[in-house]
Amino acid sequence: MPHENVYVYQSPTFLRLALGLVYFHFGVLKFYPDLSPAELIATQTVMNVSFHYLDAQTAQFALAILETVIGLGLILNVFPRITFILFLMHMIGTFLPLVLLPELTFKIAPLAPNIEGQYIFKNIVFVAAGWTVLLPQVFPQRLRDSASKASPNS
Amino acid sequence: MWSFVKKHSSKAILVFVLLVLTFGIHLTYDKYRGTGLSRLPLSSARLEAAEPQPDSDTSVAAKNVSYRRTTPAAPFEEDNLQLYPTITKGMRTPFDLWKYYGRGVSSFGSPILPMRFEQWLDFHSKQKPGLMADVHAYMHDRFDFSGEAIPGTFMSAGKPIMRGPIARLASVKSFEELAALKPSEIRKRDLFPYKPLAHPLQSNAHMVFPQMWTKAHPEHERIDVDMDFPDTYLPEFPPALFLSTHKELGDVAGGREITLDNYYEIFDGLLTPEQMEGLKELLRPSPTTWFNHTDHRVTKSPSKGVACFDCHVNGHTNAAFELGPDSRPNMSRLRTDTPTMRGNYNLMQFSSKRSIRSMDHFSEVEEYFDGDPGMQQAIGPRAVKREVTNRMGDFNSIIDYPPAPKLNPLMRLIPDLATEQELRGEELFHGKAQCAKCHYGPAFVDDYMHDLQVERFYVCRPEGPIKTFPLRGIKDSPPYLHDGRCPTLHDTVEFFNLVLELKLTKGEKDDLVAYLLCL
Repeated sequence: MPHENVYVYQSPTFLRLALGLVYFHFGVLKFYPDLSPAELIATQTVMNVSFHYLDAQTAQFALAILETVIGLGLILNVFPRITFILFLMHMIGTFLPLVLLPELTFKIAPLAPNIEGQYIFKNIVFVAAGWTVLLPQVFPQRLRDSASKASPNS
Repeated sequence: MWSFVKKHSSKAILVFVLLVLTFGIHLTYDKYRGTGLSRLPLSSARLEAAEPQPDSDTSVAAKNVSYRRTTPAAPFEEDNLQLYPTITKGMRTPFDLWKYYGRGVSSFGSPILPMRFEQWLDFHSKQKPGLMADVHAYMHDRFDFSGEAIPGTFMSAGKPIMRGPIARLASVKSFEELAALKPSEIRKRDLFPYKPLAHPLQSNAHMVFPQMWTKAHPEHERIDVDMDFPDTYLPEFPPALFLSTHKELGDVAGGREITLDNYYEIFDGLLTPEQMEGLKELLRPSPTTWFNHTDHRVTKSPSKGVACFDCHVNGHTNAAFELGPDSRPNMSRLRTDTPTMRGNYNLMQFSSKRSIRSMDHFSEVEEYFDGDPGMQQAIGPRAVKREVTNRMGDFNSIIDYPPAPKLNPLMRLIPDLATEQELRGEELFHGKAQCAKCHYGPAFVDDYMHDLQVERFYVCRPEGPIKTFPLRGIKDSPPYLHDGRCPTLHDTVEFFNLVLELKLTKGEKDDLVAYLLCL
């Protein structure tokens, strides 16, 4: 049953738009070399993951496409399953520097991150937000089923 | 229709907002380019727009301060050069750095590591094995290090001289077939086999010593990178040392490496007190950017530093390489091998790229070998005083070339001592091969810098002028060219045959090598 207060009712939409806007904005920045502050860690991670098959420029371009597509998916609320899969892939990738580049993300591992490490750690909020806004669309039937089981008279 | 518009209006508004955002970022980027914060130079379009038009009423003086480019084979946009990757100290850099361009974040260095020293050690212990495996794969992809020597030829202290050419060719069967192509064709098909060599870890850069040296001096073994050339293709260690003031003694080092511990015993009674003092200074280690007592280092233990003779061992070279200190960012610096100090008394110009005009000046200007005097405050003083550098110059000026018994006083072959092939080589040297246009006189050098314009042969950021190297005693100083991209004399001849479009035959090239071995 939707909440009667429209602001409460629409809050997942606000969250989805906010998340999408951040993805889109930071994704577009990565199309422009030297403009994104996350360039160093992001490109090094993608290069490491690709065993240096991708050079820095290609790695950044690939990441720019990924983030922009996720952003568009979230903002326009289209292709939720694909967006969710890309979102999960991206989220796993964002946490990888903590493992692959601990020297650049921690003052002292594992509990004292530096500023870049904090930037990554806070992505846990993104995970929760993405989960909240995308999961109901990815599994709508199952949620409806479980809702009807919980209150059969409604 | 109205229902469709109503249904999709919210999405249309969102798309409009995103388009505005994207356009805003694009405008921001355009403003950002060329500012002090950006690593991107101004685009050519912007530069040309800034150029005053001939029909405008702008004064002549104002025209002279325009941003006119001196055009290489093609501007960097047309060649699709890539912007240098964003990296920090210690991170891997591309081996094909000639394809890149861009500004540094700052000209000024910092003695601060991007991580704690323990992390620095850990980072390199993880990175180095993979890096070196890739470095060796890259080098073996470019060169065939077969270890085949030229029979009966040796360096001054007896090390065999390697046969070439060992540069590998792509898509053509022979160097003769390659040389028949026009430069533009070689460039278009990406066939040039002598592209520059980069420092394997250009982000840290600095001196990399050969294995033969680090075996004897483990204190110079780096945690981040090793030499990429096999020892067989490098000069002998320890090399001979000849003094112009005591030719009768021949090799005064006698197979020993001259050190602070033995120099007095070897040279007392042979040198002047000033020369002794200069030699001692050449042997005394002093802190460098990455070899010092601070955490800003590439050695496990704190380092005493590096002495002049650690690279110029016995006044010659062990082929340790560094980067030319004359440019920023680090990734734009050209790799430069250690030149020999032999015969410096005959040179008017020193250093591959910097056109240094005297031996004393050379001793004075080596600011940690990286062109950054600001590091002195943090890493420790070097700052050699003028009277000391003069004494270093005093010893430097008596280091002689190795004997060349087949040359007469005018540096021509003595026919009775030379073979037919060597004589043919000499004729080519002064004739068809045009070597003598730059390599003449007692040291076979013109003391000029020349721009060989190798960008005619491959897509790259142009390298600019490089000093002519003396050819006297050249057989003792592989690998060749400022960055060692020509591992053997045969490769060097092939390089110049291509670059100067000489159209030498295979036999003529062999003759030329035979002659070079006599110098």
